[in-house]
Amino acid sequence: MATQQKTLQSQELGLSEPGFRQGLSTFRAQIKKQFIVMKRYPIAFITSFAMVFIILMVFILAATLFTPKGAGDDVGIKSGVIAGTMFYGFCLFMFTSDTFWTIGNSMRMEQYQGTLESLFLTPANKFTDLASRITIIVFWTGLNTVLALLLIDYIIADIPFANFETAIIVLLFTLLGTFGIGFFMAGLGIRLKESSELLANMLQFFVLILCAMFFPFSVLPEPVLVISRLIPLSYGVDLFRSTMMGFPSGYPELASTQTEWVIVVAFGIIMPIAGFLFYRWSVYRQRAKSGISDY
Amino acid sequence: MSTPMVAMPSSRGEAFHSKNLGLSAQGWRANLSIAWAVFIARMRTIRRYKGFLIMEILLPTLFAALPILLGNAIAGSSKQAAANFQDHTKTASYVAYMIIGANVFMMVSGAMWNFGMWMRREQQTGTLESLLLSPASKAAILSGTALYISIRTSISFFIAFIFGCLAFGVPLEEIFAGNILLALIFIYIGMIPVYGLSFLFGALIMEIKEASSLVNLLQWVISLLMGIFFPITILPSWLQFVAKIFPPSWMNNDVRSSLLDLSYFMGSWYLDLAVLFAFCLILPMVGLWIFSRAEKHVKRNQGLGQF
Repeated sequence: MATQQKTLQSQELGLSEPGFRQGLSTFRAQIKKQFIVMKRYPIAFITSFAMVFIILMVFILAATLFTPKGAGDDVGIKSGVIAGTMFYGFCLFMFTSDTFWTIGNSMRMEQYQGTLESLFLTPANKFTDLASRITIIVFWTGLNTVLALLLIDYIIADIPFANFETAIIVLLFTLLGTFGIGFFMAGLGIRLKESSELLANMLQFFVLILCAMFFPFSVLPEPVLVISRLIPLSYGVDLFRSTMMGFPSGYPELASTQTEWVIVVAFGIIMPIAGFLFYRWSVYRQRAKSGISDY
Repeated sequence: MSTPMVAMPSSRGEAFHSKNLGLSAQGWRANLSIAWAVFIARMRTIRRYKGFLIMEILLPTLFAALPILLGNAIAGSSKQAAANFQDHTKTASYVAYMIIGANVFMMVSGAMWNFGMWMRREQQTGTLESLLLSPASKAAILSGTALYISIRTSISFFIAFIFGCLAFGVPLEEIFAGNILLALIFIYIGMIPVYGLSFLFGALIMEIKEASSLVNLLQWVISLLMGIFFPITILPSWLQFVAKIFPPSWMNNDVRSSLLDLSYFMGSWYLDLAVLFAFCLILPMVGLWIFSRAEKHVKRNQGLGQF
């Protein structure tokens, strides 16, 4: 007992000392837990890689049907701008889709397995618990993205690749905003239970179309484009791919570069805070109502 | 006080026997009753989640929108997209082509997903073990589930198909100019081997448990093999061979051929139908056999309740 207490105190893990080091230690432990859970299902490793390739193949094959027969290397799907628009949009789609699913779904799994309530009864920080669930997304989806880039570059065309450092900053803010949506989804998952999966599924398809992740915004019908302009994530998609492609003619499509920067930065700052506040409120409300272990 | 206590089990027992539901007399009526009970139970469950039904109607249209809009972007205009598409597929109706593909895919995927996820959910909520340990016939339970899935996917298919045509402005006369009766025959005959595949899918989920990632992957594999947005003739020859031993590829191509006047795999509709019939004879039996083997294997090892 005494030795255990000493170890806890040396790591600042005692309940009486909720300092920065203790927070960091808890966060590290929470991330480790996520990786351990992930390691238990090796099939998920293989399938996530394979799925990216197959999705891309399905859309590349469909796209070839719209390319004139006998066209040269810079026409249709082989055109760098079209390939870049499709691929960079797809990268963001992978992150968005995983965020919508992973955070909420992992909370839901804990609910099913009966560990969610005990997790909430521990004094561990709730924000770091939520944030630790993001690490899997950043790690795996990031790796998938790089592999997909190599695949597209090999199969279709040389994708335009410019302003990498600036594009990473755009990606960072866009992802922060997306994680905020993920926090919202986790909060909704606690409250809506079974229907939250449906919501995540629907939302990812709506986002795929409305944020024009597979095609330029210019092909969207005008009424749909109005809705697209109301979604901050659309500006993240537009600015990210425009930056990566070196701002080809007609890009960015939705607004000027400066305006898109303002929207993307605001999205990246406000959304995670708002998402977490909503999540915390949902949890408190659910605990007061019927407990969070009910599923 | 004691009279009803004695009379109750006796009358219930009689009622069971009269319905052939006694454990010792599991006749066809009992099996039919079990299948019907499973069907009703699943219908009651889905009534609680109306959002799923709405999604099943919206999803094929949203899914079909992706290649349609991508095609318009690549070709530069819808007119040029139609011309380019015709050069590759012999039809300019690329919107109808994509809508048919997306709807048939949703039907196939729905059958497999609903079955697989039903098993997984029963496993997670702890009812699978008791369900499969009951003396009810597994074939009757699976038939009830298959009946539920076929009714659910059929309703969604027709509503989603019409919704998709309206959303993209496809003139319905363009669709109705095709052989609708033949398309319906292909859909319903084609779904029988799909149920066989879904039993295989159930067996897989029982064995590997945390199968959601595999289910997601398999859905995309299905879409690739059945040529959801393209004719399978553009696939490499080895993949075409794999696609041709996969019944949904035939179903999808035949529905498109009958509605859009495209060519059949075997040259005529009755030969394609004969191939689908052959799948109908083989796959459900193989699926059921593998499912039973997987069930026995899991029961012998860690049990069905583990997840």
